[in-house]
Amino acid sequence: MTNLAIEDAKSLEAEVRLRRTLAGFKLRNLAFHFVTLAAAWAVLLLLGGVIASLVVGSIPAMKAFGLDFLFTEVWNPVTEKFGALAPVYGTLVTSLIAMLIAVPSAFGIAIFLTELCPHPLRRPIGIAIELLAGIPSIIYGIWGLFIFAPFLQEHVQPHLISAFANVPVLSKLFAGPPYGIGVLTAGIILAVMVLPIVTSVSRDVFETVPDVLKEAAYAVGCTTWEVMRYVVIPYTRVGLIGSVMLGLGRALGETMAVTFVIGNAHRIAPSLLAPGTTISATIANEFTEAVGDLYTSSLIALGLILFVITFIILAIARYMLLRLQMKEAQ
Amino acid sequence: MNDMNNVPNLNEIANPGDTHNFGEIPMAAQNAEPSLQIDKHARAPLAVTSELEAKVTVRNLNFYYGDLLALKNINVPIYTNKVTALIGPSGCGKSTLLRVLNRMYDLYPKQRAEGEVLLDGANILRRDQDLNLLRARVGMVFQKPTPFPMSIHDNIAFGIKLYEKLSKSELGDRVEAALTRAALWSEVKDKLHASGLSLSGGQQQRLCIARTVALQPEVILLDEPCSALDPISTAKIEETIDELKEKYTIAIVTHNMQQAARVSDFTAFMYLGELIEFGPTSQIFTAPENLQTQNYITGRFG
Amino acid sequence: MAIYDMRRRRSRFFLSLCYVCVFAGLGWLVIILGTLLFEGLRNMPLSVFIQMTPPPGSEGGLLNAIIGSVIMTALAMAIGTPLGILAATYMAEYGRHSRLTIIVRFINDILLSAPSIVIGLFIYEVMVVKMGHFSALAGAAALAVIVVPVVVRTTEDMLLLVPDTLREAARALGLPCSVVIRKVAYRAARAGLITGVLLAVARISGETAPLLFTALNNQFYSTDLNAPMSSLPAVIFQFALSPYKEWQQLAWTGALIITLAVLGLSIAARVLHSRRPAE
Repeated sequence: MTNLAIEDAKSLEAEVRLRRTLAGFKLRNLAFHFVTLAAAWAVLLLLGGVIASLVVGSIPAMKAFGLDFLFTEVWNPVTEKFGALAPVYGTLVTSLIAMLIAVPSAFGIAIFLTELCPHPLRRPIGIAIELLAGIPSIIYGIWGLFIFAPFLQEHVQPHLISAFANVPVLSKLFAGPPYGIGVLTAGIILAVMVLPIVTSVSRDVFETVPDVLKEAAYAVGCTTWEVMRYVVIPYTRVGLIGSVMLGLGRALGETMAVTFVIGNAHRIAPSLLAPGTTISATIANEFTEAVGDLYTSSLIALGLILFVITFIILAIARYMLLRLQMKEAQ
Repeated sequence: MNDMNNVPNLNEIANPGDTHNFGEIPMAAQNAEPSLQIDKHARAPLAVTSELEAKVTVRNLNFYYGDLLALKNINVPIYTNKVTALIGPSGCGKSTLLRVLNRMYDLYPKQRAEGEVLLDGANILRRDQDLNLLRARVGMVFQKPTPFPMSIHDNIAFGIKLYEKLSKSELGDRVEAALTRAALWSEVKDKLHASGLSLSGGQQQRLCIARTVALQPEVILLDEPCSALDPISTAKIEETIDELKEKYTIAIVTHNMQQAARVSDFTAFMYLGELIEFGPTSQIFTAPENLQTQNYITGRFG
Repeated sequence: MAIYDMRRRRSRFFLSLCYVCVFAGLGWLVIILGTLLFEGLRNMPLSVFIQMTPPPGSEGGLLNAIIGSVIMTALAMAIGTPLGILAATYMAEYGRHSRLTIIVRFINDILLSAPSIVIGLFIYEVMVVKMGHFSALAGAAALAVIVVPVVVRTTEDMLLLVPDTLREAARALGLPCSVVIRKVAYRAARAGLITGVLLAVARISGETAPLLFTALNNQFYSTDLNAPMSSLPAVIFQFALSPYKEWQQLAWTGALIITLAVLGLSIAARVLHSRRPAE
């Protein structure tokens, strides 16, 4: 009799313990779920915070200058007249130069890695190119300033200037004293920094082409180049544009490398060999010394412009790559 | 169980180096009974007096994937203006053999072929063979329809423009002719500038056939062309094959035996990388000489 | 035949251009790393790891900058890594098919590639202005904002690679989601998570722009989180642009140190990634 009672008590105890454990599970799961959900929202709020703080900080400048801010070249801390035209121009031109150099090179390297390179060498060379992306940008800056710019100044720029001296349009583009630093130099260094990104995404994109399609092109008698040009590249067109835009996003936002070699002149000069400035270089150089609310606010407004431009470009890039992924999944 | 005596001895066929060779009819064909027809869709046996040229002759072919010997000492003729089917269970090497005929394996460093493949007497496996010119003479249609990312018109014009300089109207005529040959013209003549990818699977495959035909090749290789298609498209393509063989030499790989019986004049049965039996289709399907062939045909394995 | 010859020549021409591009790319790598090694080691002061940053014109080291970088990096990882892992856990586990996840993934990828100087501006507005002064905390916060997207991306990718069958087996035992995630998914993806962490450290080790107006710089040794703190990138920025030879030399040496650290971490991350046991 007593044994049964003890057994009943034991099983009751066990049941209670089980219930409590399960309740504990449920509570802990709920808490964890909540915490992770909050973290996900936090990421969203982070972006919102960035945009909000930039907008709020730009308000004094917006109120003072209005839309003219975008079209004025003047940048005078003394008279407190600021205009974004020179930095925006510099940002766009250096990025354009970088893309013109980097994109064909990147496609060339991607074609090499997917079609021409012997298999055992593919990984090492791919890794080597990606190492270029791993080098911090300030290294590019210091290398550019001390090694590359003097080299260009002595050995390249004088030849460029004299070569185009009598050509109608190009003489303006390549005019002026060889400073070494300048818009062109910054563009070239940016090209080297952007190259690995465009290469690696293009390479991934090229590898999504089904082998059968390439074989079908060879079966018609195409040379390797014709297969790439008429079949592979059109097939991956959307992804390639995505890769270019990713590279462009990086070029637009790059700060340290450009700051070192662009020369920091708030002017728009027709010559590519002249110094200029970009949005990020202006902010990096002048922010800590900016006196006065209007000055600071103008710099933040520049930051807002940069963020908006890169946001749009990156959004388009991600959208295009997403479309390519969905096409591949079919 | 490989009874080598039943495989036609190719040394008995006249040396294909002569352009006008009248090869001996393989022994199997000579023994065929003209009236034996189990499947009423099977081809009637060839008239024994017809002259048969071998457009392509495979001699002592060994094929390696890396160190693995995938094709063992293959000897087989592909007769001019006839359809030759390669059949056999999965992995027997039929696709591998087909892809040797236009040296498609050359794209992959680990694959290599030894032996000879004679196209009109010239060995195409030799190192200095120009591959692009070879592929202009020997076209290929793949298992999966592979339209290029271009318009329908450009898909076809693309191949032509690689070799000839034609005016726009001449190009248009050639495109129309090719599409007509592939029985696709009436369906696409109003939308020649639509993307090739907008067609249905069967239409895409016929587009690929048109693209191949536009180059005016001499041999057309078909690698399981209907395996990804529905029965109606399949029937249309089989009709097309029947019409094409008047002008071209055709080799088709298929794992659908009924299709082989329907479309081909000659059949080669392969198993585990070896050619087990070769002969007129009617004979292979009604009175095969090799037990393995018979087992496969009757569905005992495969 | 003429057409064919031209086609062949054109193909050969363009393909050789591809070779040229590869050599150019590899050439840049060799030149940059080569000059970095050369300049960094050339007159490397033996005291670089022992002495503090000197006033202009005198000898010194980089100790306070190195320590400052280490402190702020560690702090940024401490803040950013848990946040990133938790957010990615939601995206890969609880909310795998929810619309929030799609949006967060998109936003995250944009934050990943956003200009880092803008992040610096953000923290300036939100922390430096409110606190009234520059501080190492603000610097760490700016770095943390850069860490989060990196960790979210790699963690989500790694968690999604863990096969669902593992999770189902654990659930079948009656375990709740949270335990399944912690004991099963995290453990299975552990190597990948560590890779993500290493990549994040590599990324922020070289970042300069976000520190410029958050942590500023400090000539002296300081571990006060509430005060400006020096860091290697900020010191390099200041010293390289100066006219003093000793400072410029220290800038090169500092650049070499950062590069070795970053490349070392990247290679370690890659090795770890490829040694993942095949599922």
